[in-house]
Amino acid sequence: MGKDHDLSEVLRGYAFLAPLCALLLVFVFLPVAGTVLDSLMRDVTFLPRRFIGLSNYRSLWSDPGFWQSLRFTALFTLVSVPLELALGLAFALLLEHPAPVRGFLRAGVLIPWAIPAAVSGRVFELIYNVQYGLANAIVTGIGLSDGPAHWLGTSTGAFLALVAADAWKTTPFVAILLLAGLSSIPEDLYRQAEVDRAGPLQRFSRVTLPLLRPVLVVALLFRTIDSLRVFDLVFVLTGGGPGGSTTSLSMYGYRFFVGGDFGYGSAVSVVLFLLAFLFSLLYLGAGRFGREIA
Amino acid sequence: MRIRILLLVAAILLVTGNDAHAAGGRPQGKMLVFAAGGAPSEVDYWQELLREFTARTGIRVDLLRQPTDTSLRRQTLSLALMARERDPDVFLMDVAWLAQFAASGWLAPLDPYLGRAGFSGRDAFFPRILELADTWKGRTVALPMYVDGGILYYRTDLLRKYGIPRPPATWERLLEDALKVQRGERRDHPGFYGFVWQGAQYEGLVCDFLEFAGAVGGIEAVGGKVIVDTPRNREALRFMRDLIHEYGISPPNTYTEMKEEETRAFFQEGNALFERNWPYAWSLHQAPDSKVRGVTGTAPLPAFEAGRGTACLGGWHVGLSRYSDAAAEGARLIGFLTSHEIQKKLAFRLGWNSGRKDIYDDPDVAERLPFYRGLRDVIERARPRPVVPYYNQVSEILQRRLNAALAGRISPGEALSAAQREIRSVLSRYD
Repeated sequence: MGKDHDLSEVLRGYAFLAPLCALLLVFVFLPVAGTVLDSLMRDVTFLPRRFIGLSNYRSLWSDPGFWQSLRFTALFTLVSVPLELALGLAFALLLEHPAPVRGFLRAGVLIPWAIPAAVSGRVFELIYNVQYGLANAIVTGIGLSDGPAHWLGTSTGAFLALVAADAWKTTPFVAILLLAGLSSIPEDLYRQAEVDRAGPLQRFSRVTLPLLRPVLVVALLFRTIDSLRVFDLVFVLTGGGPGGSTTSLSMYGYRFFVGGDFGYGSAVSVVLFLLAFLFSLLYLGAGRFGREIA
Repeated sequence: MRIRILLLVAAILLVTGNDAHAAGGRPQGKMLVFAAGGAPSEVDYWQELLREFTARTGIRVDLLRQPTDTSLRRQTLSLALMARERDPDVFLMDVAWLAQFAASGWLAPLDPYLGRAGFSGRDAFFPRILELADTWKGRTVALPMYVDGGILYYRTDLLRKYGIPRPPATWERLLEDALKVQRGERRDHPGFYGFVWQGAQYEGLVCDFLEFAGAVGGIEAVGGKVIVDTPRNREALRFMRDLIHEYGISPPNTYTEMKEEETRAFFQEGNALFERNWPYAWSLHQAPDSKVRGVTGTAPLPAFEAGRGTACLGGWHVGLSRYSDAAAEGARLIGFLTSHEIQKKLAFRLGWNSGRKDIYDDPDVAERLPFYRGLRDVIERARPRPVVPYYNQVSEILQRRLNAALAGRISPGEALSAAQREIRSVLSRYD
């Protein structure tokens, strides 16, 4: 017995896996491998195509525009993602509380997430506008400033404006994800903790957080990857200015695709991919997926 | 590479999906595909013109409707051409991408058709535009459909009120007038500014810079090399920055928010004395709900005392795909679209400024569009942005560096020398 049966079992397993593998191959692996390959080419519409090794990467290394956009993208991710996670967690805890209109609130909190980034970028552009923006109306209205402030005029101002707009838009996403995680934590554990005379803080740090960890990591992963490739919001709100200080990596690469330089654009994309990949590995490690918890 | 293949497949589906006859093979008579985008009313008008073409020639044309956004229009065309698609046969291109399209070998020369039956000769068009924008390596690869140049809008009522006899011919003069009027108007209109223009980090900033700089030096493309860092260009950029920070006649959001539409709205609300914009703003300033209706004048952009005024050449050109399987029919369509008759119609219906000289001499046009008279001079003197295939990369660098100078983050000198360095390294990639 045994052997034949085992083999057909194994084959059957692979057969079940095959469609997924094929999908991954066609839609993930091939495009990524193709982009990597293209980044090693001089692939420009107006010149003969040829292999140039790491030349595109060497050019990137000495390209101030690339470094500026890499710095912005990294900083944007490091500031906006933790902020969104903290705010999202706070919202999730609030929404978890029984309240008369909880269903309504839970749906309502999703509205910013449902608005396309290009639209919310435009809305925030109006809010920050020097002449007729809401932000200036409020600031001058309550006497914080005597003249209108130029919110997007400095690189720090534009950066913070982008973080605020991004947090407004994506906090609901984090909140809903965490809310689902919260509701999967068994009530009994909290009652048990109460029996053990654990205070609210202890219950949060000993029960809620550890059990929420996998969902937190998933939220972190989604948000980080999204934030690394931010495009639409920045494109609409600041256009990458002032002086290129808010140009994201994906915006930077996009310019080259539009201009017909696919090799260089691919090199930028590969850097972006590697960044996202690194973060993902890091998080998956931290999430301890596949291990028993509690 | 693979990702490109996927994109190409998508593009092919996009292009052929539009061709109702793709499935059943081509019908007997040749069928053209013409790609054009823009506002819905514009695209509808193209449809009307194409029907007229079909009625006259029996050649059927499918209109491939493109998005409004210029970059997206460029992308859809690039993908089809990279895939060597037979369609679209004829398409419109922004003057800023003509060089890349031509250098990529995507455009069929039009010289064999020029001057033949139903096709105007080269001499019908503005020679400088044809020479600078539509000619690549000695061949005519496109023809102007619509030419544009920056102009100065001004408030006739305010000039009168402050005893200024005519719009400024020099930038120095403009500064003086703007300061005077702004000081006076601010007394009961605190949000009033002397001069609005486009300084945000986008393509329009390069055009505005070219106009200030062109008045003294300009961006030169010498033997395919782009030269931007000259003492006179530094002066021009310093002047632009000072308009915002030193003299305060341009609003602080000039370098963050001001694009064409923002400046147009600002001026149209009655908040500015002068405005730099394209001719399209004219009819909107004259709309019933405009606060500057009837009190707006136009003039060529000023010059510096040491130079001469210049306008940045904008607009759209029509070309024939090298991969077209109906080149002769496509050429007939181009001949039709660039004819005196159709160019005149475009001027009346869409307010387009023709690249043909004879439109400006036409008595009907002079009568119905008096505004056109002043444009001829502007267009004849307009200068294109550097005509190099890698212009998009040059523009990206210039936008970033010029905007940083306007924001006061770096000095004009640093901005231009850094831009020059970056442009040189882009060039080294394409050697």
